[in-house]
Amino acid sequence: MNPSDVMKQILTTAQRQGIQSTAAGFTRSHKRMVRFSNDTITITNSWLTEIPTVYLVSNKRRAACMVEEQNPDGLKTVVEELARTMKVTPEGDVGFTLPQGPFKYQSIQGIYDEKIAQGETELIDAVEAGVNAAKKEGALRASGVVTSNTRERYVSTSSGAEGSNKSTEIEMTIRAFCGDDASGQGITVATNLQQFNPEEAGRSAGRLAKMALNPETGQAGKYNVVFAPSIFANLLNRVSDSTSAYTLDLGFSFFQDMLKRKVASEAFTLHDNSRLPYGPGSSTLDDEGYPTQDNALIERGVLETYLHTSYTATKYKAPLTGSARFEAGIGGMVPTTRNIILKAGESSLEDLFDKAHDGLYITNNWYTRFQNYQTGDFSTITRDGVFEIKNGKLTHPVKGLRLSDNMVRILQSVKALSKEQSWVRWWEVETPTLTPYVLVEGVGITTAKK
Amino acid sequence: MEQELAREAVDHALGLGAQYAEARVQRDLGHTYTLKNGAAEPVNVARKIGIGIRVIVDGALGFASTNNLDRGQLRSTTESAVRTAKASKRLVTSPIRLSQEKSWEDKWEAKMKVDVRNVSPEEKYELLFTIEKSLAPENVHVSLPSRILVFDEDLTEKFYVNSEGSRLHGFVPRVSLLFFLTAQEPGKGVAQRIRHEAQSRGWEAVEDWKPKEIAANEAKTLGRLLREGVPPPKGDVDLVLGSEVTGIICHESCGHPQEADRILGREAAQAGESYLKPDMVGHRIGSEHVTIIDDPTLPNSYGFYLYDDEGVKAGPRVLIKEGVIASFLQNRETAAELGGVSNGAARSSSYDREPIIRMANTYMKPGNHNLEELIEGVGNGIYMKNFMEWNIDDRRYNQRYVGLETYMIENGQITTPIRNPILEITTPGLYGSVDAVGKEMEYSGATCGKGDPMQGAPVWTGGPPIRLRKIRLGG
Repeated sequence: MNPSDVMKQILTTAQRQGIQSTAAGFTRSHKRMVRFSNDTITITNSWLTEIPTVYLVSNKRRAACMVEEQNPDGLKTVVEELARTMKVTPEGDVGFTLPQGPFKYQSIQGIYDEKIAQGETELIDAVEAGVNAAKKEGALRASGVVTSNTRERYVSTSSGAEGSNKSTEIEMTIRAFCGDDASGQGITVATNLQQFNPEEAGRSAGRLAKMALNPETGQAGKYNVVFAPSIFANLLNRVSDSTSAYTLDLGFSFFQDMLKRKVASEAFTLHDNSRLPYGPGSSTLDDEGYPTQDNALIERGVLETYLHTSYTATKYKAPLTGSARFEAGIGGMVPTTRNIILKAGESSLEDLFDKAHDGLYITNNWYTRFQNYQTGDFSTITRDGVFEIKNGKLTHPVKGLRLSDNMVRILQSVKALSKEQSWVRWWEVETPTLTPYVLVEGVGITTAKK
Repeated sequence: MEQELAREAVDHALGLGAQYAEARVQRDLGHTYTLKNGAAEPVNVARKIGIGIRVIVDGALGFASTNNLDRGQLRSTTESAVRTAKASKRLVTSPIRLSQEKSWEDKWEAKMKVDVRNVSPEEKYELLFTIEKSLAPENVHVSLPSRILVFDEDLTEKFYVNSEGSRLHGFVPRVSLLFFLTAQEPGKGVAQRIRHEAQSRGWEAVEDWKPKEIAANEAKTLGRLLREGVPPPKGDVDLVLGSEVTGIICHESCGHPQEADRILGREAAQAGESYLKPDMVGHRIGSEHVTIIDDPTLPNSYGFYLYDDEGVKAGPRVLIKEGVIASFLQNRETAAELGGVSNGAARSSSYDREPIIRMANTYMKPGNHNLEELIEGVGNGIYMKNFMEWNIDDRRYNQRYVGLETYMIENGQITTPIRNPILEITTPGLYGSVDAVGKEMEYSGATCGKGDPMQGAPVWTGGPPIRLRKIRLGG
């Protein structure tokens, strides 16, 4: 399919249907994945997709359609049907139009690597490198996944915005085991092959797994916790979700009515930079055709902005943030993050252990769930290596712990951050996140009672 | 036409050297209608059709998909599946085999009495507005600053062909209603409730759900919780769990750990492994009152299917029988490895996803007691009717359920509402504490997440109320 023809057809058909404002999109992606477990490859995957997207706005009505089918003649019918359905839809709460273009989109350095686009065997080579490195560190076995994606996104709107973005990404997650309850995870994420380091991911996973051998059952209580990047990135994804005006609008945000208020400690500065050079999520434009930007979400502890689409920006009388993303399902077009970045501190990891004095070092987690999205009460389960800190030094591994606390309280209890930052993107971390190690005081830890 | 395309892909794969090949053309059509605080959110349409091809070449498994059904693209996609499988052979140390299964040619479907496609968008919004009206403050006596109501319909059609002679054509319509309510009381904070009604049926399901009554009752309950709720008691208590909690427990700490792919480590880097080992069939995990079944063939169920996505005929699977591990959920790959045959648990969420082991409708077998009898048998304890927060570790051993609608039981009677009691317990600790099982069955709709890339599978979780003795609440 020719992207220009597809988008032109969407815009022309919508205009004939009397639609006031239309965003036409087209994504072409080639994604490849190799999965492995117990040191053996379990499957290779290859996906080639071309997906037009349609977003219609008229008066206070909106409609969205993802057309994951290739029938150029049918696209006209799809847009006509969508327009007809939208006309009988009850009104929404706000009337708005899409951003008035044209816009100039400045290119972003380092987000496309031809070698990834044309690669064939580098994913399999990465599995070999990662597994060997993990085993060299003492791991008995390793499992994981390597994925590469080449993505072209085109957007054209009835308001004169027109542009495209071409990007590549390659990532690996490897989990090494020295026993059933002794595991460690390593991650490497990059936009180019040069910065992709499966060997280091494997080494890191293997080292952690070996350190985690023979864990003692942990005890409930309040702990000073040093969070490794994997777990803190998971929490930061939830924090960033709460800065989306869409989440706020639905009543799912724990930052309700907190704009310009202190929501975190002074040490905490969080950005969503969609224009970051070499950023795995970087894009020159959003899905409403608006140029992307670096958004300061929380600056020295103060909530600076919510992220917006045209709809939420109109509703909340706020400027656009270049955060619109087409979403299938509820929402249609919603504000989301692309590269979450927590500002580094000045400590080394050892400094953080020292400052914690007595506490826990938690390397990873999964299954974060909220008791109440508005209050931010939640829990999440530790996974892979967890270690006790005594007198500023790591002592022994522990297991069976759950972090049970409040998200805002955690942000407000951040005491120190490391100089070192790492990119995290894996199954439990949807948006690429660059984060340091973080020390948080007085974190609630619970355990099973029977 | 679709079946022909799938057959061509299979033939082409065999011609390229694959020892086994299967192809599935899948068409999904979804409509989502949402009301947010009485105003319409975007109507959302998802149209999806494509083909997924899975091959085995010398023990290596390859999968490729495309949404371009042009014959040239189909051939190159098939070639991609075979080529990548061949390329991976050097790191396949444990060759993949499939169990021997019977081949089927069949057409199957979940029937709609009232075809949801023949119900106008206006009627679907009318449904949501009717529910919205039932949430008026004068009716529910509590402020609801956030009310999200979603009606969703998804029609899935699959054309499946494999190189062993199976040819299947399946059709499943699914409808669901999601209620997300936030209640607020001055000085008492906020409470939130998510409820999901879902079935594989037509529009007739909606009337059966009594959505106005559901919404109003849920809202009134949130109001009462906020106004009257007290902190949970300390010390050991007896606990009666409602059907919704029983259902999530069966799903999380029975269904998931008994997925054979987890047990064998295939999901280790994502959804995790299992506390169970391959040789633990026959191992006691709970009291004799606990029998848990997963059954894809339950009529109208959200997880309904009659053949899985490897062409294996589906049927009920007893996972725990009278407290003893009875079987695992299997696909053809795990069945070959563990010795035996598949029990038809392989499902794929879309044309572009490999089939993996999934639950369908997981529930605890009902007993003989009604709810009143379970409650009467408790001197002092707690009745946890439903929940909000939950999670479980990645070996499915250490789990937590935070009660939402929960009450004290005093002298065998339900009394005061309780705010957020926490059940944090191990899997054997939980199943070993069950001393009585109720007889009133209820099911909840859910979307289970697993796989990489993520696959959301429609499931039912269900069961009767159950009673647990001597539980220490956590938090």
